[in-house]
Amino acid sequence: MTATRDLVADQREQFAFHDDIDYLAQTKRGLSRSTVEEISAFKNEPDWMLQYRLRAYDHFMKRAMPTWTDGLDRINFDNIVYYRKPSEREEKSWDDVPDKIKQTFERLGIPEAERKFLAGVGAQYDSEVVYHSVKEELTKLGVVFMGTDQALIEYPEIFRKHFGTVVPAEDNKFSALNAAVWSGGSFVYVPKGVEVPLPLQAYFRINGENTGQFERTLIVVDEGAKVHYIEGCTAPIYATESLHVAVVEVVALPGSKVRYTTIQNWSNDVYNLVTKRAHAYENSTVEWIDANTGSRKTVKYPSIYLRGENATADIISVAVAGKGQHQDTGAKAVHLAPNTRSRIVSKSVSKDGGRATYRGHLKVSPGATNVVASVRCDALMLDDISRSDTYPYIDIQEDDTTMTHEATVGKVSAEQVFYLMSRGLTENEATNLIVQGFLEVFTKELPMEYAIEFNRLVKLEMEGSLG
Amino acid sequence: MSPVPREVTLPAGAPPTQATEAAAPAARPARAPRRAANELTFKLDQATVAAYAGSEPDWLTADRQTAFGRYETQPVESNQLYTTYVDLRTANLADVVAWDAAVPSAATAASGASLPSGAAGLAAIAENRVEGVILDDESRAAGVILDTVAGVLARDPELARRLLAEPSSLPDDDKLAQLTRAAWNQGLVLHVPAGIRLERPIVLRWQAGEPGRALLTRTIIDLGEGASASVVEELLPSTGAGGRTAAQALFTGSLEIHLAAGAELAVASIQDLAEGTVAFQHRQAEIGESATLRWALAQLGGRLVRSRVDNRLSGDRSSVEQVEIVFGANDQLFDLTSNTRHIGRDTTGNLLSKAALLDATRSYMKGLIIIEPTAIGTDSFLGEFGMNLSKQARAVAIPSLEIDQPDCRRAMHSSAVGPIDETQMFYLESRGISPEDARKFIVLGFLEPVVARVPLVAAQDRLRELLESKWDAGALAEPAVTAPAA
Repeated sequence: MTATRDLVADQREQFAFHDDIDYLAQTKRGLSRSTVEEISAFKNEPDWMLQYRLRAYDHFMKRAMPTWTDGLDRINFDNIVYYRKPSEREEKSWDDVPDKIKQTFERLGIPEAERKFLAGVGAQYDSEVVYHSVKEELTKLGVVFMGTDQALIEYPEIFRKHFGTVVPAEDNKFSALNAAVWSGGSFVYVPKGVEVPLPLQAYFRINGENTGQFERTLIVVDEGAKVHYIEGCTAPIYATESLHVAVVEVVALPGSKVRYTTIQNWSNDVYNLVTKRAHAYENSTVEWIDANTGSRKTVKYPSIYLRGENATADIISVAVAGKGQHQDTGAKAVHLAPNTRSRIVSKSVSKDGGRATYRGHLKVSPGATNVVASVRCDALMLDDISRSDTYPYIDIQEDDTTMTHEATVGKVSAEQVFYLMSRGLTENEATNLIVQGFLEVFTKELPMEYAIEFNRLVKLEMEGSLG
Repeated sequence: MSPVPREVTLPAGAPPTQATEAAAPAARPARAPRRAANELTFKLDQATVAAYAGSEPDWLTADRQTAFGRYETQPVESNQLYTTYVDLRTANLADVVAWDAAVPSAATAASGASLPSGAAGLAAIAENRVEGVILDDESRAAGVILDTVAGVLARDPELARRLLAEPSSLPDDDKLAQLTRAAWNQGLVLHVPAGIRLERPIVLRWQAGEPGRALLTRTIIDLGEGASASVVEELLPSTGAGGRTAAQALFTGSLEIHLAAGAELAVASIQDLAEGTVAFQHRQAEIGESATLRWALAQLGGRLVRSRVDNRLSGDRSSVEQVEIVFGANDQLFDLTSNTRHIGRDTTGNLLSKAALLDATRSYMKGLIIIEPTAIGTDSFLGEFGMNLSKQARAVAIPSLEIDQPDCRRAMHSSAVGPIDETQMFYLESRGISPEDARKFIVLGFLEPVVARVPLVAAQDRLRELLESKWDAGALAEPAVTAPAA
């Protein structure tokens, strides 16, 4: 019991801070063609990337703002800095990282985590990768793990071959915005047959008021290779609105296995609009393990296109929506090849007037015979001022698909709370425990340290309900 | 490393909704004329609506005008969740003309229509003709009214006004519902006074399908406190109805239901229009305290059917049970929406939709359960099940939930799409039944829940026959049953 009480202490302080950094280079507030050109010039990019960015910019400008989810019209694109560069060059070792930035990461616990078991660390401070180390072991295996900007220069062939193939710039308004102004993010290449023994992880942070964060992640896993990538986000809290528009592309080549884990905890003023998609080829397995606790509004549906026979998709999506938050999350599985399988599990918690929306798409295209698919969505509502929505889209165009879908919405049962309170827990602790149990399908998939951190985040959210 | 193919026709996009719309038309062979999927080719103008005014009271003309204004401004699909699953492209209604309004003096019980055995009443309208309105003496004596709208306007203008001008009896934001409200040319009213319990069903028979003609109808069912009734709605081809290749016809129909406290209504509908007919149906029920509504809806006919059911459980302890089946063949499209709104306390919703799809049939089953903040103690279930019987068939299910009140007895939906169960096949075949018959029995059994709920035995038998003959026609046209792999 004592352990439980310790965890309930308010630890938000630890995640909410703001350092004054001297930015060496940044674009002017607002977005224009010249902003895009400026970003590309800062980075000394090849011309094809500049042209790609400009095409994407044109598409972004003419593409209508989506209206199927509300509140996006509140984003003021003119009041955002699209590119900031906190230091001149990529740092090779921890010692070279500027002190202020280092302090930020120390508070987040990166060095400690690295000591323990991490294979590589990519840390994003504002819009640039500043610190990146790849253990010798991985280098020997031929695994590439670096900032996306650096990969564009150092691995131009493999980069250009895959960049934008999974999420085209024209895919949606925000993928176009990302393609126009992207900066930072991780690039991972795992060569044929290589199994990366430990998870690769990157910490992301937004710092600086009204800083846009437009990272771009590209993960290419070659035939028979295996990797687990983890991203976790924390961000300082500000009063005005911030914007995070990311694109993540995963290419899982035949026989490979990829797991991508996210713990998203942006501060409650961030609009988090992310396009995440994987292409899964023959006999490959792709897993998205995705949790969203932070942000003001998240719009994110991790997707898997099952393009090769016998591919497997597994998506676990978890959302906690507190006061003022709207988690518009979900998952998509698109079956394009025979004998493919998919499983989607979604769990959401809404409280204190928060809104949790599950939006999913399960599609079986003509020719994708013998598909087995399942979708399960459960929602927990902790009070009657919150809201929970479930919008599953199921579109089956084959005659031998086996698909099941189930969704339930409920509240914390009074009997369970009573039972736990009779064992000495406070009501809040009891509710905490029940919520954690509800989300365990997610936490049990995490490495231990992350599971602890995630449970802490959930507790922080629950703490808010008392204040 | 194997080459990565470029993305061409894959559906894509952050919104699960937007993408397929853009991709789908490109993937199909070009059709002429090429139209937007949500374009309504039927044209209604102010003059047509104004032409009804001559024979009608002012309040009714005003009601039509208000509806016409909404018809002009509202979208075909008002719910953004469903905008990608709208497809009116098989409805070619540019040359379709509405019948003139019903003549108030239209004869009742004039022609050959006779009361079906076991029924308490019959109202039959074919195209622009009232074939007959018959009510047995017992019901008439009890104060039950079964009449055309024209008849009710003449005999009880106040009742007519209360029922027809009720602003919320059809959805305001729905273009097609407002089309019907603006331009209806035939109408029926069933009114059962408080406390009256009709033991035998009332039959409402509509016949439509005359090529180039539009029959637009409103039907209002009004049950007083503690009243009970059952209704069999039959939607049939008229004698002149055209098939798949004929010029198309349009049928639109509303069913506006008002259930006062404690009322009970069962509605069974058998829709078997010709395949040259496009049908738009809007059913909306206001369900009062402790009142109960039971729907059994069978959708078989029509080229394109777009149907929307709105169940409003406004009274405490009110309940609705809805069972809907679709049995499609050729390239029929069934676009079916069910909205259930829980408003009162301790309300119950139990909805089940099932589709068996032959050939290149499409079925879009959209369902939305809304639990409002006031709806404490709700029990709501929505099930959507599909059976694709051909490789060209397409089953879409969108069972949605919007929940503002967690204090529910139950709030869930489930959905499944699967082929014919091999173990059921094996069982039947082991009893000496041929594979063809086994398939037929399993499919008809899948659809049986609605058949069993049709209150009139004759109508029940006829629905079974319709399902069976449709199966036989489909099975004949199809290649032989695929043999299990040796």
